[in-house]
Amino acid sequence: MAVADLIRLLNVNPVYRTRFVHMKTTEPEPARYGLLETSLSPSLEAYLDQRGIRLYSHQCEAINHVRAGKNVILTTSTASGKTLAFNIPVFSDLESHPDARALYLYPTKALSNDQFLTLEQMAQFTGIAAKPAIYDGDTPQSKRAAIREHSRVIISNPHELHQVLSWHAKWQPFLSNLDFIIIDEAHRYRGVFGSHIAFVIRRLLRLCRHYGSNPRFILSTATLANPCEFARHLTGLEFSLVDNDGSPHGRKNFVLYNPFYDGISERSLHQETKDLLVSCVKEDLQTLCFTGSRKMAELVTVWARDDARRISSRLAESISAYRAGFLPEERRVIERQLKEGVLKGVVSTNALELGIDIGSLDAVIISGYPGTMMSTRQQAGRAGRKGDESLAILVAQANPLDQYFMHHPEQFFERSHEHAIIDTGNPYIVSGHLLCAAAELPLREEADRDFFGEFVSWLLPELESNDLLRRTSRGWVYAGRGRAADAVRLDGVPGETFRVMCHGRLLETLDLGQAYREAHKGAIMLHQGETFVVNEMDLETHTIRVTETDVDYYTQPLKEVDLSIIETLETRTVNGVRCAFGDVEVTEQYTGYKIKRGDTIIGLEPLSLPALTFRTRAFWFILPESIEQKVSGVGLDLAGGLHGAEHAVIALMPLHVMCDRWDIGGLSSPAYGEDGEPVVFVYDAYEGGIGLAEKAFSILPQLFLSAYELVRDCRCETGCPSCIYSPKCGNDNQPLDKDATAIVLGALCRGPESTGGSTGVAGMMPVTP
Amino acid sequence: MSALPAPARIGALWQQRMQGMREYEIVRDGNAFGAGFSNSFVFSSEYEQARHYLEMLLSRYRGMTIDEQFHGKELVNGGGTCFTLESRQDLSRPVLDSDCFRTDLLCDLTLVHGIGPATRKKLNARGYHSIPDLMEHPKLRSRAHEVLACLSDGNTSAIMDMIGSRHSKSHVSVLGTAGLHEPEDYVFLDIETLGLFSRPIILFGIGVIDNGKLVVYQYLLRDIAEEQAALIATAGHLSGDRVALVTFNGKSFDLPYIVDRLAYYGLGSPAKIPHFDVLHFSRRRWKDQLPSLRLAALEREILGISRSDDVPGQMVPEFYETYLRSGNIGPLVPIVEHNRQDVVSLARLFFHLLGETYGCR
Repeated sequence: MAVADLIRLLNVNPVYRTRFVHMKTTEPEPARYGLLETSLSPSLEAYLDQRGIRLYSHQCEAINHVRAGKNVILTTSTASGKTLAFNIPVFSDLESHPDARALYLYPTKALSNDQFLTLEQMAQFTGIAAKPAIYDGDTPQSKRAAIREHSRVIISNPHELHQVLSWHAKWQPFLSNLDFIIIDEAHRYRGVFGSHIAFVIRRLLRLCRHYGSNPRFILSTATLANPCEFARHLTGLEFSLVDNDGSPHGRKNFVLYNPFYDGISERSLHQETKDLLVSCVKEDLQTLCFTGSRKMAELVTVWARDDARRISSRLAESISAYRAGFLPEERRVIERQLKEGVLKGVVSTNALELGIDIGSLDAVIISGYPGTMMSTRQQAGRAGRKGDESLAILVAQANPLDQYFMHHPEQFFERSHEHAIIDTGNPYIVSGHLLCAAAELPLREEADRDFFGEFVSWLLPELESNDLLRRTSRGWVYAGRGRAADAVRLDGVPGETFRVMCHGRLLETLDLGQAYREAHKGAIMLHQGETFVVNEMDLETHTIRVTETDVDYYTQPLKEVDLSIIETLETRTVNGVRCAFGDVEVTEQYTGYKIKRGDTIIGLEPLSLPALTFRTRAFWFILPESIEQKVSGVGLDLAGGLHGAEHAVIALMPLHVMCDRWDIGGLSSPAYGEDGEPVVFVYDAYEGGIGLAEKAFSILPQLFLSAYELVRDCRCETGCPSCIYSPKCGNDNQPLDKDATAIVLGALCRGPESTGGSTGVAGMMPVTP
Repeated sequence: MSALPAPARIGALWQQRMQGMREYEIVRDGNAFGAGFSNSFVFSSEYEQARHYLEMLLSRYRGMTIDEQFHGKELVNGGGTCFTLESRQDLSRPVLDSDCFRTDLLCDLTLVHGIGPATRKKLNARGYHSIPDLMEHPKLRSRAHEVLACLSDGNTSAIMDMIGSRHSKSHVSVLGTAGLHEPEDYVFLDIETLGLFSRPIILFGIGVIDNGKLVVYQYLLRDIAEEQAALIATAGHLSGDRVALVTFNGKSFDLPYIVDRLAYYGLGSPAKIPHFDVLHFSRRRWKDQLPSLRLAALEREILGISRSDDVPGQMVPEFYETYLRSGNIGPLVPIVEHNRQDVVSLARLFFHLLGETYGCR
């Protein structure tokens, strides 16, 4: 057993042994098969027979639900045959209804291509006239009309959909017969992006209603804590959940591996990853290694091949990179060589974690926590061929989240799944899609409330008063000058925009926030690998003038944040600490910038830019006086403690709420407002808010506990990037006090009365080293 | 989920973003290289001039009403109301030599499926000089018959499609089929819009020939709400057994745009009619001789017309928006004249090309 050999190596090798933190083993499970309520047509039966497929229980359940007219969301594991579970009901429908059409949405080009091949083979074998085709930005103009007219299965992506909806007249044959919308990897559509996609889908459904169709949905996602709620927010419809996985599994071993076990690391994460990869390949394990970036994928490959070459050139040749950006033919060669066993090790970026057709392997190495448990499980799910034992290794980075898991393996393995958040209540997002919808068909306040909610009543007059809509007897008609779909970016919320000009040529456009942060006067900007210096920022005309430059330093802005509470919406007490959630107005002011070479500050320049304000939602907590006194009593810095607590809480938000650290902002003050109380705020860094602080507010005790444990268990003395240092701090991580932070967070977990006492959670003491 | 209180600036944010989205580029004067990258551009002197012109119009027409300036009337139909203008002018038309066109077609053996230039040579050598001659040819007879049947029974669209499929769609013979129509059948069309697709059409210009004169009807939107009525009025001109549409770039722009806007209001598209896109014939005729094939350039070079007080076509949206926002009719004045002149130049250019190819010599 090669997997067992490798695990033995991890246990005995003196280098590996120190870094081997934990291993969890899951016992094998046999396949469970199911029954269909009504049998399939002979052509589909023959298709399954020819491939030797017997349907698993979850596939049957999904097919039965779909055929009963329900919308279905599938959340079973990677490689459990989700694709077949939605292709069968679609083809069955196409076969019995000669006009029926289906739309498949995929988040990436590679996935679209793979699905296209599958659909084409299926159409060919069954003789069902699906005429599948990909319709996206790369589809030649000359082929588009024929695809719209004749293809009954069209594969596209949400960005393309957003652009083509205004051409609905040309899509009439397709839209009026649309029976199914398949959204694969739907969990990708969460957060701000997902909230946009939710409205793109509503716009599609609105056109379907116009043309008289009423399509059903089949969604597939990674495992989520809130699958039905997520599906409902994404589409506006009710769903049946299929999550009982009937596919077989072999024994699975999941290893946590920490190069930073002693607080420092002699070698980089990537070197450590490379060592593990070479060891796996030497043990003859087919291994897939995920890295955080394309560049690292290439470097790890090169290093691993160099190492392997010392053993044999054949071994070196058996390691290859595989990433987005490769030509389809190159990828096909790699896929084939993997299947034939010629390739042993493949290094990929996270971008390819999803459903790509390289089957299952013996081992997976994940270099750095990919940000969500969902991605981790999807990547690890690649390990394990039918019934065979498999291995997954997570190699930790130095950051707080990764280190938290290394110190709390039980948290890593036993955590519940993440919530995928979609906010259909953000007026900044809704308003953009109202403009797009009004450009597609006149908006009717009553009928369209079904799709856009209560917002229409106050947003429509607001948009009219700015000449973007006109009220007519037919409804609200779009009258803006720009094309609405071009003005709405699916990954952000609208704001003022700046144009960056170099010698009269437009380089790029920046949002207001980006412009202040990255393109203030004196800033060094990068654009497509070239360096520019900002000569002028004209706030009146929203123009930034830059010239090319060649310098070896970079700039980093300094920011001051102020925050005022507009309205407190909810309050709660957590362990005796007052916490609240509500609408806030954040004011950010860039006061200066640092000039840095490497990590050294070589200059400091002042800036005078107007303050930026935006409304968003935040949760906050007010530190009880007793804790305040306790901190000051032992001579620690209260401001540093609050600031550290803010950073630790923000660092662990992604553990509980599906988001990125950069989606969240924070502010701490030892004397906030009129009452001068010590407060920490955590807010959504998007105009209008996107539901992150709101979700976190509902799980504050867990959030506080994990932040406390992170700080308590970190081996550093005065704070480090693994605990309370933030990579995005606007105050240059000043002031910070680790001991004070531990006291503050400790109080949040156990209440003010028990600090230093003996009634801590499971007897844990706030011991600070 | 409770809504945030209406932030008053949400509309203003979108408006600002729209302002930053121009669908044309401003190119330094004479920078043909810069212009080469963009389909849609305005030279910077042109742009500056137009901006000044707009200011001047706003002050000159302040306080005036549409009725005071334009001699038009209100039109009412199932779609509501809009404003119509009518003007007529002389138009010289060539006398067409329809025999010449007929002979050309009948002698074009390559119209028969399967005959290329080489086969034609061989057939010529063997004494087959016209398609009727091929009726004697044992193998080609039935195919020749198809072509002759199309020419004698087919409508213009079918003949255009047949010629277009054997040659190119801009072949002179395709243009020649225009001669199958009476002058009264032609409908010259040009629209002004708020942008490149997915936005309202604000002015429809329709030219028809009546008693030897060119009559230009213009359907103007006094407000966006009038678009539907203007669309219905325009669609009315595009239906009829004998109607033939003439446009400049209308195959890719004007006609699909109109179909799109009809669909926007839930209305069906007009039936297919013969469509002569003068841009295509102009491109074939003058491609390597003229630096630009825009209508304005062609009317200057070929027809010798020079416009004064014009608004560059790309800037029509911002002129019209200024009218909508301010209620000042000044910006409408050059838009209406620009559109009228486009229709007139289109008609003249069409007849110029037709006369060149099939006029009596």
